This record gives sequence, structure tokens and C-alpha cells, in this order.
Amino acid sequence: MSKVKNLFNARWMSSLIFLLALFLITGIADPSFLKYSSIISCFNSATMYTLLAVGIAFVIMTGEIDVSIGATLGITAAMTGMIAQQGGSVISMLAACIATGAAVGLVNGTGVAYFGVPSLIFTLGTNSVIRGLIYILTDGRTIENFGGVIASYGNKTIAAEITVYYAIAVVLVVIAHYVLTKTRKGKYFIAVGDNAGGANLVGISVLGTKILAYVLCGMFAGLGGFVFASKYGQVMTVAGNGYEMTAIAACVIGGISLSGGLGNMVGAAIGAVIMSSISRLLVFIGLPATYNNTITGVMLIVIVVADSLAQRRSIEMARRKRLLSRTAENPEGGEKA
Amino acid sequence: MKNLLKKVFKHWELFLVIFLILEFVIFGAANPKFLRPKSIMNSIVNYISVCIISLFVTLVMITGGIDIQAPSIIGLTSIIIGVLWSDAGMNVWVATLIAVVVAALCGALSGFFIAYCGVQPMVVTLGGSFLYSGLALLVSGFSATPAYKGISGFPGKNEAGEFISFRFLGKGTLFGIPMQIVIYIALIILCIWILHKTKYGEKLYLIGVNQQAAEYSGINTRATIMSTYVLSAVSAALAGTLLTANVNSAKYNLGSGYTLAIITAIVLGGTLNTGGKGSILGTVLASLIICILRYGLPLCFDVDTQNLDLPVGIVLVLVVLGREIAGQGILQKWFKKKKV
Amino acid sequence: MAANVQGKTSVPRLEVRGIKKAFGPNVVLKGIDLSVCAGEAIALIGGNGAGKSTLMKIIMGIYTCDDGEILIDGKQAKLGKPAASLAAGIYLVPQEPLLFPNMTVLENILMGFNENEAELKKRLEEHMQELGFNLNLQRKANTLSIAEQQLVELLRGMMRNAQILILDEPTSALTFGEVQALFKVVEDLKKKGIAIIYITHRLTEVFEIATDVAIMRDGMITLEGPVANFTKEMLIAGLLPKDAQAQQQDEKAYEPIRYNDLKPVLEVKNFSGYGFKDITFNLYPGEILGIAGVVGAGRTELISTIFGRDKALGGQVILDGKDITGLQTKDVLKAGINFVPEDRHYHGLFKIRSISSNTTSALLGSDEIGKVNMNRRRQKQISQKYVDDFRTKIVSLEDLIGSLSGGNQQKVVIARSLSTSPKVVILDEPTRGIDAAARADVYNIIRQLKESGVAVLMVSSDIEEVVELSDRAITVFQGRINGEFAHDEITQDVLTSASFGIVQERTV
Repeated sequence: MSKVKNLFNARWMSSLIFLLALFLITGIADPSFLKYSSIISCFNSATMYTLLAVGIAFVIMTGEIDVSIGATLGITAAMTGMIAQQGGSVISMLAACIATGAAVGLVNGTGVAYFGVPSLIFTLGTNSVIRGLIYILTDGRTIENFGGVIASYGNKTIAAEITVYYAIAVVLVVIAHYVLTKTRKGKYFIAVGDNAGGANLVGISVLGTKILAYVLCGMFAGLGGFVFASKYGQVMTVAGNGYEMTAIAACVIGGISLSGGLGNMVGAAIGAVIMSSISRLLVFIGLPATYNNTITGVMLIVIVVADSLAQRRSIEMARRKRLLSRTAENPEGGEKA
Repeated sequence: MKNLLKKVFKHWELFLVIFLILEFVIFGAANPKFLRPKSIMNSIVNYISVCIISLFVTLVMITGGIDIQAPSIIGLTSIIIGVLWSDAGMNVWVATLIAVVVAALCGALSGFFIAYCGVQPMVVTLGGSFLYSGLALLVSGFSATPAYKGISGFPGKNEAGEFISFRFLGKGTLFGIPMQIVIYIALIILCIWILHKTKYGEKLYLIGVNQQAAEYSGINTRATIMSTYVLSAVSAALAGTLLTANVNSAKYNLGSGYTLAIITAIVLGGTLNTGGKGSILGTVLASLIICILRYGLPLCFDVDTQNLDLPVGIVLVLVVLGREIAGQGILQKWFKKKKV
Repeated sequence: MAANVQGKTSVPRLEVRGIKKAFGPNVVLKGIDLSVCAGEAIALIGGNGAGKSTLMKIIMGIYTCDDGEILIDGKQAKLGKPAASLAAGIYLVPQEPLLFPNMTVLENILMGFNENEAELKKRLEEHMQELGFNLNLQRKANTLSIAEQQLVELLRGMMRNAQILILDEPTSALTFGEVQALFKVVEDLKKKGIAIIYITHRLTEVFEIATDVAIMRDGMITLEGPVANFTKEMLIAGLLPKDAQAQQQDEKAYEPIRYNDLKPVLEVKNFSGYGFKDITFNLYPGEILGIAGVVGAGRTELISTIFGRDKALGGQVILDGKDITGLQTKDVLKAGINFVPEDRHYHGLFKIRSISSNTTSALLGSDEIGKVNMNRRRQKQISQKYVDDFRTKIVSLEDLIGSLSGGNQQKVVIARSLSTSPKVVILDEPTRGIDAAARADVYNIIRQLKESGVAVLMVSSDIEEVVELSDRAITVFQGRINGEFAHDEITQDVLTSASFGIVQERTV
């Protein structure tokens, strides 16, 4: 039975092992990497993608997709910057980010779950709309010079070189993980993605669960926007462009299946670390950063192809076993009258 | 009203034509300068990559797939042409041919994983977009020119200052029509032929509607699916060639950021993302609608050219919502509820 | 039905009255009355398409009925969605378990509850002990066998304190040992006072575990009462249409096929695959060979493997002297076999394509409708020919096939299979889910085929159909041929018995 238990854990465990292997290979290439500070900085720099990946993981687990999170991150980052320029409090920035993210999520969730528009298409549309809104909000200018309170937060560490932001992100990951795997309602997300018909049969609201997933996703993207503004100190109108693809890739590498119902938050968080530290690791290995995308792409494809082949095989084996058992010799044979 | 709505949404291309005409009427009335043919053609040339690639990604989507890697192949093609021509000293046409072959191989690789390994098209082509854009950057490393600069100085301007040879593709005209548009028209005809006239096109539809049933009809669904990814990659290579010839610069990151624009054009054109339904004409009309919107709004209504995503996004959201509402009879549901 | 209720002291736990349901023009349930009391197990038997599953889905709230009422403990209940049925104490264990494949057994069972998890777990363990289950709760559902999945579904029902448990063909995918284990559970549940509706294809099971039995045919209940009042033979008689005997007398003079003069067009020798084993038979040109058997007997697996849809494990299939064992579908098609699949919607139809597209889809591999370009004119000609020949009711060849009735859809699917001019046509459940008029047309088409010299291999769960059409028949039971019958040996009685595993003494 422990074998089965391992199998259950395998999906995010394998991404953790993968991450450790990456660290190890880097360390072999350049032993100077194997220091606490270089490794911890890999984690610290993954804060934003961790938030995005965990958020979108809710949506992906229900079997949908959201490509508007990059834009949501952009608009909330711009808001943060503008509030900071006017000397607003951090609380008001966070409130604005989370509320905006939730609102975007509500719109996405309604369009997808209630109106039944395919999620890729609908969030593609909202993505463009939000990008436009960023432009209107900022008048097309880069928001900058808002330093003050929030910039100083960006590099603050709580202990052992861990930044405050990453620590908070980790706490959120743990909470999200707990909710998703341990609580009754949290499991609905996976249940809906795993077998929507079955979920309906045991009385779970598929509609409500999907809308909630989008709202959570938007809220996490909003937090990502806050971190973005704080980290870079300036927000261009194209901020967050393409981040959605990296976040999706992080989820996939973290063992979350794009068809839904499989994976968990820890995997998504590890995937985010892998995605964001590849360029850093390449520097140590001695490859120029230009290898970044190539290696990411190869990694992504290898992982998903291997995973898909393994899954197909196990389903096929189960089917064949079932069919073969039908023709297996019967202890008492067919009856004769 | 309800029935009218249903009818219009049923004949999607008709709806798009009406939309396009409305654009011309409104923009033309707002600013007569809008109607200058040269400017209109220019607006298409500016968007030519999206127009061309969306034609062939339509074929992919008809089979129920999706291709988000095509834009990364634009840059890959461009930089291969540049490096082979400028740094390896090859004939520019040979370089182009090699680039197209490489692109086809890229498409075949992704297509193989999708068709034969059963991986979701979205994931494979997401990986592909990282991989091929990464390869483009690596290829640019072989060049003496720094990657961010772009390789320029492609052949063809004669003494009279006319564009010839390679650059003719990007800058030349034929009977006053930009070469790019001539090629686009040729590709439209080619695609209409492929999808609507050939047995291959018929197979694409059947696979998209019901892959299982297509298998029972003796169609080799896997090879057919794979071939659509090769076609879309080749079209991206073509777009990359045209773009390179147009801007006279081979760069690894040309075309990045077109992903969502391409999907938008196809979806707006009425192709079902689950496959089995859609037309080349729809994609063409939708591409033109977006081109004209992006050209007309700044000219006539002073919309900032940097902020053209918003109107396109609004159009997309409203249109897909409208289609779902009309198709599912959500209106009827509301109507009934009120009655009770 | 009042007579049947007599003698029962208590109010039935579940009672349905006058349930009617139609899907479009297709009337599936024509007024069903059925009741089950606490501690009773009523076995519901009937052929495919009799409407059993539809009735159960209505009780479970997955479908709503067009007419009729449902009473629980004598009180009228309003069930329209699964949540309401669950609250009313009903639980359906579907034929294909609807588990969450990526979750553990524990998560699967507790999904959708609002109580404290520790308490639930305690209750679950009690239930498991009570029933003597031994199942690791941490296993993932996709590692479970079908039998184990069914146990999980049962536990789900018990955890919900289901007072009415519906088991939809629970044994169809189980091995002998698993069936015995399941029966023990059902016995225990009966003792606990749970009302059980047990849907099955297997007559012997009825006598093993049911207290009452009801037979459904064509959307009606044709026979109902305590099991003790019936014998197997009576049940078989109940499964047959009322006018079965009359019909047999009506039959036209049959022209026997002179097999001695014929060479078989298709030879199947010791053929084995997933779901069937050691199948041997010959098929001659101009004959209809019927294959009877219950669902899950391996018939569909056998013919779809011949058609190249699954891997062959042994033996040979020879078409006209050419070995076609293990070829791909497209090559089997080219060799001269075509196929009408059982599941029209899943394997047959291109719903959002036109009638002509559907008719000619199997010709895309040949040059019949053009080499590279589609020859639309030829495509139309061919489609029109079949529409005329088959009297298919259509408005235009360009209409979507999804707009046609089931019978007309089926005619188009049959047309597709004939379009390649095959030597052998395999029909899997050719008249499933179509109305009587269309059925007669399909029978005519099959007879014409035979007269034109095509060999027809027909799988059907509708015994009547096999009797009416076949020149010879074989029955498949648990993946093996358990009976072969010449034309004058084929009776509904004999075939039904053999399908259910009872081989009667041969008369010839």
C-alpha cells in the first residue's frame, strides 16, 4: 500500500526532486552556488510567480484556464503605484489589489461558468480589456517614483534572508494547500475538475465552485501586482505581459494537469520556483541566459509528454485487465439447464 | 428580436460582413481620410503576420486543437534567415528555404506529441513557444550582430530605388498593391481551397466533429492532425520572411506577443474552439475587422494607438457572450422565468 | 398494478406512478408504475433500450419526467436535481461508477458531506465492518477494480443513509467471485431494511437475491410480482413480445441457403482479444449471421477488434483468403469490411456535418469522391442514391445530421457503411433506439444487402431481431461462443436461454 501512497504523492514530489536535481547540477558545475544565500534567493525571486501559479491552480484544477492574470497583475501593480504616489497606505493598496482581482475573477467566472463561453476565449477577451483599462488608468504613462513606504518592503527580510513577501507567499501557499486538500469545500475544486458529472451527482454546485476558483485566482494575481510594484518600483503599461504563460507552465511542471482534477498547491509553488530560477541557475552553470527559454521549453515538453504517456498506459492497462477478467476461466463455469 | 438575433448569429460570416461595413461607414463618416485605399492597405500590412498565421491556425482549430507556438516561429525564421545570409554567407533564398524547412520540423515535432502521444495541444504548443523562441535566441548568438540590434541590409534595392529580390517581398508592389497583400490574397485562396474544396479539408472537419467516428470511417486522424501543425508552422515561417523583408531586419523576437491576437481573430471569425466548425472566410473577415478597428479608431476617434487592445477585447467579449446567449437560449430562459 | 401491492403490509418506501419520458420524438417510458418496500429487493430486467436506466435517472433527479409522480414513504416527492434525491434518501450506483479518479477512496466517499470528518470516518468504518469490507481508504480511485469501485459507490450510498438504493447492472463487469461478494452485501443491506432496486441482465441473479421481479419492455412493465411466483422460463417468456408466436407464424417461406456450394467470405479462427476468447466461425456471402448475447458478453469487443479498433491477442481473421488479422481500420475498410457501430453518437455520427458529408465520410480514403478535390456532385449523387434507396426522410442533403430523428440518422450511418461496397458488413445493434417504422426499413435494407450477396454479421441484444433476420445464429456468453444454431433451430426461447448462459438441449 505504501507504493500506492507514493504514487499519490508522486506528482509534486517529482517536481521537488526535479528542483533539487537542478540545484545539484548547478552546484556540480559551480560549487559556489551551493550556498544558503544563492539558493534562498532562487526562492525569494519566485514570489510573484508563486502567487500567480497558486491562483491559477485553483482555476486549472476545475478544468478551466485563465489567461488574463498577467493583465490583472499589471493593472493592480499600476494601482498600487498610483496609490503610493498619492501617499496612500499599504492597507489601501492591498485592498485595491485584492478587490480588483476579485472583480476580474467574478467577471471571468460568470462568463465561463454561467454563460458557458470557453474559458480560453473569454479570458483572452478580458485580458485585452484589462490591458486597455491599464492604459486608460495610467494615461499611457509608466508609473514610477512612488518609492516611499512600499519600496522599502521589497527587500526586507524576516529571518534567514527570507524576504517578507516570500514568507507571506509561503504562508498563503500553505493555507491554500490546506484548504484544497484538507477541507470539505476545498476539495470541491478538485472534484469538479476530476469528474463534473460525479460532482453534480453528490450535490456539489459546479457553477459556484468554478466562479469561486476564478475569484481566488484574480485575488492572487492582485497580490502579485502589489509585489510587482513594490519590487520594481515602476510599472509600465505592459507590466505582466506573458506572465500568464509562465504561471501556467509553472503549474504544469508542478504536476497539475491542464484537464483538471489533478495536482496541488505545493506543486504549483515548486513549479514557480523552477520557472523563475532557471535563468539564475544557467548563469552558474556557465550557459548564457539565452538558453533560458530553450531549456524551459524542453523541460515542459518532456514532462508533459512523459506524464501523458504514463497516464494513457495506466488507463489502457486497467481497461485491458477488466476485459481479460471477463473471459478468465470461471470456477463454476456457465450454467447448464 | 430573439429570432433575428438567432439568425444573424447563425450566419456568422454575414454578421461579420455587416460589422465590417458598419466600420467603414462610421469611420468614413467621421473622417474622410479614412477611406484612402493606401492607408487601408497599410493597416493590413501592419497586421499581416496575424492575418496570415490565423488562416492556418484556423485549420488547426477546426480539428479541435490550438496552436500558440506559431508566433515564436516568426522570430525563429527571421533570425535563421539573417544568420545564414549575413554570417554564413548563403544566398538569401536558400537561407529562406532552410528556415521554412526548420519551421516545418518544429511544427511536426509539436504535432507529433499532440497527435501520437495524446498531450493537450495547449500544453505542447506552450512548451513549443518557449522552446522555439529560445532556439531563436540561441541562433542569434551565432551572429556577429548583437541580438537586440537585428541583422539588416538585406538585398534588394536597385539603382532606381525600387525594391527587388528579397525585399520585394516586404516592400514591393504589384499593380499598386503591396506584395504582402498579394501574397495574403493568394494564401486566402489556397486556404479556402484546402479547407473547403479538398478531401483533406473535409477530413479536418470530420476529425474536429468526432475523432472517434473519423477513425471508424477509416481516416488516419493522427497523421492528419499532425499535418495541420506543420502547415501552421510553415505559415508562421512565411509571415516571418515577409516581416523580415518588410522591416529589413532579422530579429529573434519578431512576432512575440501575437499569440492572443491570432486566437482572437480565429475565434471572432466563428471557429469553434472545440473544433468541427468554422471557415476561412470568417477568419479573414475577423482579421480585417480587427485591422480596420486598429486603424480607424486612432484616426477617427483619437484613440491612442497604444491602447487598441481595449476595443478589440470588448468586441471579443461581447461577441462571444452574445453568441452563447443566442445559442443556448439563455434569453428564453430569462423570459420564461419572468412569466412564471 | 394494484394487485401486486396486495399482501404488502407497509407503505412502499418508493413508489412511482405513471412515469412518462420522451427524448424528442423517441418515447422511452410509456407510463411506468413500480414500487419497492423496505427490506425488499426488486429485480428489474429487460433488454437494451427498454428504458430501465432512464427510469433510474429520473428517480435520481438527473432527468425530469414528462408526466407521472414519485412517492417516498407514501408522500409525494419533488425530485428535479440530484441534491433533492440525495436528501430524500435515494442513492444510485451507476452502471459506470462516477468516482473521482484522482482522489482517494476516503475522499471519494466523504465528498459532498457537511459533517465533521472524524465522525464521518467513524461511521464509515462501522459500515465497512458491518459489511465485512476490507478496502484501503488511501488508495486512489483509479487504481480500483470495477468491483471495488462499486463497493465504494455502495459505501457512498450507505453513508448518506440511503433508504433506497438503486444498483444499475452492478455485475456486468464483475468476475464470478466478485459477484458473490456483492450478493453478500446486498443480502446484508436487505436485512437492514433498505429498499433495493436491482437492474440486471442475468436471470439467475434474480432468483439468488431478489424478493420481487419486474420486467420492462419497450418502456412498459410487462410483468411484475414476487420472485417465488415465477420460474426462469416464465421470465424468459416475459422478456419476449406478446405477439412473438403469432409473428413467427407469419413468416414468409424461408429459402434455405445451400451452404455446401459456398465458400466462406470471412473465416474467424480461434480468435482472441480483450473481452473474448477462442472465437471460431465462418461467414458466407449472402447470409445474415446473428450474434446474440447480453451486454458485456464480449460481442462488441469481438467485432470491433475484427474491424481493427483494438489489439488482437491470438487466432486469425481471413477475408476472402487474405489474412487481415490485426490490420488498422483503414486497411480493414480497404480490404472490404465495413461497420455500423453500436454507439451511433460516439462512434458513428458527425453531428454538426451535413447528411452528405456523413454518408460519404468512409469514401475519403478512396478515389470515389475525387482524388484531391472533393467531387461535391458525386458526393451528392451517392448520398441521394442512399436517401432514395433507404427512404430516409430529409429536407435537404445539406442539413445537419443532428437534426434528423434517430432512425434516419441510423439509415445514414448504414449508408456510410455500404458506400465502400464492402464484401462483409458488420452491424452492431442496428436498430438501437429507433422507432418501429424505421426499424422495419432497416430490416428491409439488411435483407436487400443479403440478396445482393453481401455477407452480414449482425450483433444484437434484441433477440427478436436476431430471430427475424438471421440465417444462422451464434450466442456469446462470457467472451466465448456457447451456442451455434442453424436457421430452423433459431427461436427466441433458445437464444434467450443461451444468452443468459443456459444452453438447452439441442433438438437437432
